[in-house]
Amino acid sequence: MTATAIDAPGAANAAPRRILDVVMLHSTNPWTTLILPWLITFAIFGLNFSIWTLVSRAAGPDLETDAFANNGGVTWILVYMMVVAIQAMSASFRFALGMSVTRRDYYLGSALYFAMLSAIYAAGFTALGWIERLTDGWGLGGYFFAPFGSAAEPLWLHAYAFFVLLLMFFFIGAASAGVWMRWKVSGLLTELLGIAVILVGLAWWITEASAWGSVGSFFTDNSPFVILSWTLPVTVGAGLAGFALLRRATP
Amino acid sequence: MNAIVEVQDLTKRFGKVEAVKHVSFAFAEEGIHGLLGRNGAGKTTLMKLMTGQEFATEGEVRVFGHSPVENAAVLGRVCFINEAQVYPEDFKGRHALKAASRFFSRWDEAFAARLVDDFAPPLNRPIKKMSRGQRSAIGVIVGLASRAELTFFDEPYAGLDAVARQMFYDHLLADYAAHPRTVVLSTHLIDEAANLLERVVVVDEGSVIIDADAEDLRSQAVTLVGKADGAHAFAAGREVLGVQQLGGLASVTVAGLSDTDRQEAREAGLEVGPVSLQQLVVSRTGGRTADTSEGALQ
Amino acid sequence: MDDERPIFVQIAEQIEGQIVDGSMAEEGQVPSINELAAFHRINPATALKGVNVLVEAGVLYKRRGIGMFVATGAREALVQRRRDAFRADYVRPLVAEATKLSISPAQLADMIKKEAGR
Repeated sequence: MTATAIDAPGAANAAPRRILDVVMLHSTNPWTTLILPWLITFAIFGLNFSIWTLVSRAAGPDLETDAFANNGGVTWILVYMMVVAIQAMSASFRFALGMSVTRRDYYLGSALYFAMLSAIYAAGFTALGWIERLTDGWGLGGYFFAPFGSAAEPLWLHAYAFFVLLLMFFFIGAASAGVWMRWKVSGLLTELLGIAVILVGLAWWITEASAWGSVGSFFTDNSPFVILSWTLPVTVGAGLAGFALLRRATP
Repeated sequence: MNAIVEVQDLTKRFGKVEAVKHVSFAFAEEGIHGLLGRNGAGKTTLMKLMTGQEFATEGEVRVFGHSPVENAAVLGRVCFINEAQVYPEDFKGRHALKAASRFFSRWDEAFAARLVDDFAPPLNRPIKKMSRGQRSAIGVIVGLASRAELTFFDEPYAGLDAVARQMFYDHLLADYAAHPRTVVLSTHLIDEAANLLERVVVVDEGSVIIDADAEDLRSQAVTLVGKADGAHAFAAGREVLGVQQLGGLASVTVAGLSDTDRQEAREAGLEVGPVSLQQLVVSRTGGRTADTSEGALQ
Repeated sequence: MDDERPIFVQIAEQIEGQIVDGSMAEEGQVPSINELAAFHRINPATALKGVNVLVEAGVLYKRRGIGMFVATGAREALVQRRRDAFRADYVRPLVAEATKLSISPAQLADMIKKEAGR
């Protein structure tokens, strides 16, 4: 038996095509990532809308104009997408490896899909936020798609906020899934413990240095755009960590 | 002969457990081969190592002449049907086929449709709610319709009934004839598949104990039945794989008999019977009695 | 395909048998390797080996791109070979046993005639 290579007669697909295949894999069943989130969003919105209607009828003209301007209901999508990322990375990772996909192609395809989802939901929520403004808060002064009283900010900032926040939660999910794939429960517990230690340590350090004032001024002195942009290093860090973890993961 | 898979001095440890121990073997290009052994012998781990799903601790795996690990050029030509394949949480049967059709460049949609007709898996049922046999049917369809140049089937028909298994063999042979490729089959139903196999590698406790042509193995061992004295006298000094005794009657399984040896046994009043590949593997992998020499069949 | 002998030998013998009993005519086409493999549910390489035994023995011959055919005179040769084998496998032990039992060749011939006439 010879040890010569039986070289590939161009049978394998090229890298862009392989990465796109992974994107398509994630959307093979669009229910979890493309349909259900909208249904839940509309359900939560519908619930809010009926409460607004009830309250405004009961309160009549005494109601303050900005009573419904401060709503955080839409942020559920961030947590949902983090869970989607964790779930996708564990089950679909193992399936993809069974379909002869490399870990690299799988991760790049998944990252691309997460970016696409972030863009789709950012665009959709911004569009709904635009309608919300045109209708003066659905005729009730209710601002669902401009959470936490941010209705006065420009629309592009909303789009940007949705996009970078979704992206960050996706990649924190991807990194957590990587930890899960490599070390299971003990890994995730260690990760949470680590994060807690870092946060407490940070708080302690800020207190020691009596720097809470500068932390506060970071949020008041900087524009929301700058503050939101500070999620990007976190996103990139989580993304790289997720890649490093998954490269050595086994199904 | 070109080797499509070459494994050299391969070792895989999980913590302190040595699942694969310094294993070397090769499979030739084009052919249907068997990777046999008991549950937990290391077959699945070997297949995962050959498809880059696991990382070797020591040694080397070469598929199409290259390492399969993170190698899209190699993996693009390989299909691995794993009995314990995990599917995405929300997948139904049809999603699995749809995804597979994208990932395998030589996928034949018409053939897949024929297989779906024959095996009739419930394509609209979530895979996590399917029975073992239904999930196996999905795997079998993917493995056959992918037409990958190198296809691994790990216990592909767990939970399938005899009719469906026969259907699998028939489809495999017919499609192999039309589209020659390399198939590596792992199964515990050795007798059923024995005649389909060309090369047979048997692993036991992480080591290769048989690596031979199936055809040669068939005539390798025989069972001698007759009076206990006569049977034992004849077996003395030969390679005994197993002994059974009932009163004054003994049945001795002996390896490595020549034609003249067999003639001699018949003349000594012993009945010479065939030993199936399954019996051979069983006697070699745990069913064995004491003091048999190792590796005589290699 | 169940006895101890190699499968390829059994495949060869089966084809021989069909030539001898006339179900495969001389110059007639023989099933392809793939058809044989599918019918017997065996590895195609094994079927090929069995057929090659017959090609080497001159019983079958290949026509490139068309298939395998029974050679002219194959039946006669096989029958002759089987007769020789019959003599070695049956007549010789028969005579040996008859001699042990003091049955003379004439008595033996008589017994055979009676048996054949039944």
